[in-house]
Amino acid sequence: MFVRKISQNYSSLLQCMILFVLMVTTFSILTPYFFGSHNLRNILTASSVIGLMSVGATYVIGSGGIDLATASIVAVSGVVSAWMIQDYGIGPIAALFISAFVGSLCGLVSGALIVVTKAPSFIVTLGMLSIVRAIAYIISGGVPIYGLSENVTELGQGSFLTLPYPAIFFIASTLLFGIVLSASRFGVQVVALGDNPNAARAMGLPVNLIQLKVYTLSGLLSGLAGFIFMARTNSGDPSAAQNYELMAITAVILGGANLFGGRASMLGTFLGVLSLGILQNGLNLMAVSSFYQILFVGLVLVSAAALRRFGEP
Amino acid sequence: MSNSLKLRDIHKSFASSKVLKSISVEFNQGTVTSIVGDNGAGKSTLCKIISGFLPSDSGTVMLGETSLTNLGPMNIRNLGVEMIYQDLALVKQQGVITNLFLGRELVRSPFAFLNRRQMAKKAAILLGELGVTIRDLSVPVNALSGGQQQCIAIARALLFSPKVVILDEPTASLAVREIEQVLGIIRNLKSRGIIVILVSHRLNDVFAVSDRIITLHSGEIAADELVSETSIQKIVQHMVGATVSKMG
Repeated sequence: MFVRKISQNYSSLLQCMILFVLMVTTFSILTPYFFGSHNLRNILTASSVIGLMSVGATYVIGSGGIDLATASIVAVSGVVSAWMIQDYGIGPIAALFISAFVGSLCGLVSGALIVVTKAPSFIVTLGMLSIVRAIAYIISGGVPIYGLSENVTELGQGSFLTLPYPAIFFIASTLLFGIVLSASRFGVQVVALGDNPNAARAMGLPVNLIQLKVYTLSGLLSGLAGFIFMARTNSGDPSAAQNYELMAITAVILGGANLFGGRASMLGTFLGVLSLGILQNGLNLMAVSSFYQILFVGLVLVSAAALRRFGEP
Repeated sequence: MSNSLKLRDIHKSFASSKVLKSISVEFNQGTVTSIVGDNGAGKSTLCKIISGFLPSDSGTVMLGETSLTNLGPMNIRNLGVEMIYQDLALVKQQGVITNLFLGRELVRSPFAFLNRRQMAKKAAILLGELGVTIRDLSVPVNALSGGQQQCIAIARALLFSPKVVILDEPTASLAVREIEQVLGIIRNLKSRGIIVILVSHRLNDVFAVSDRIITLHSGEIAADELVSETSIQKIVQHMVGATVSKMG
């Protein structure tokens, strides 16, 4: 009875946990450098940008949409922050808020376009992907903005009580927005909208407002990711985070979310992000070529999708 | 003061197609009024206008002295009008409690976190009153039978003491035993003084529970009769647009 209940309600999450344990076990056996506290911190730090994007993507995918513009938002928010730091001498906290604001604004525009035009989120955010990336290139003149102050790069490269700042941002966002997703009225309504939009409308849910909030949140978290990326690399790079949006979506799907909406779990996303991070880190430690790393990411996603299909009733 | 539901001069068109033409009707407390008609007669559109899912082009909807005209589904639900849709409008990957409270979740202020314990308690009491047995309320609704899903949709409509309940084809895809259960619930609603509006193609079910039958034909009221004064044959004649004298 208990096992059946678990398998009915949490099968996707269970599969994600199995994948995570498999990854950890496999690389712990294959390379002696994997299971050390230093390397685990590396994994968390390296996963933090995609992790932040994935937290937002969990909401978007849970609501039945998709946001392809997140990586471009990472780039533009980093570029704008770096430009403000260089030209106006703003401090790291102000830069953080500017990144978050720029990201939120981009997300709000995506959400507003989806609500007003009723066009599919795939099309709108595909357009935003190009527009926002182009804005990043225009602002920066096509070249990265280098030479940020040390107190800015500290937030990307430093740590607090041995935990790197980027990892703190990622974990704190996962916790906060995980609680909101699973335990608040807003979280329930986001997933309900993704499950059955007609039912959500019939029951009087504020569908347009929910969509606006979801894409703004995705933009906000991508903006924060943009700040972390900038602080880690010490530059506002208009070509930053290319294809990261697909990695974020991959992490959310690995985490058990339904790509068509109605099912999403922040714990699953967290494990999905870490599974991808572990995969890349483990392959790096084994000196596997980056071409093969891309191949392995694809194989893991396809395997997880196939496994889930077989697991469905 | 009467709390009847009054529709006055309701019009609705989709593009150039006039779906409802000047519908005026009054529904009374503690009565079951069925709306019947052929496909495309305008039955579901009329119900969706009452529930706020669709706006009318013109006309008014009043519940007692309160105007419901084009208020939107949530405001209309909050004023005591509930609709059970033909497709049930359930979010099927979610559990029973999520579905029962969808849009009106019980929360703890100030951060609107769900009050799960209170919701579970209220859900268990209501389902018990309706005689619905579901072992595990956290199971996704798509794992339940069609009859159980229908009962959840009905229970959701009753959760906040409605004044009007509209049922759109509630027995269309149910087995005989489940149909009896739904008809029993409709009688129960009537006994509580609720205004019940039933849309159905199944005339046997309509005659089993209704006090009054309104027949729509091409977006107009073709007949408005007490059950005691009509028959299945007469209703069918109204539905196809034939008058009794012509048929006779």
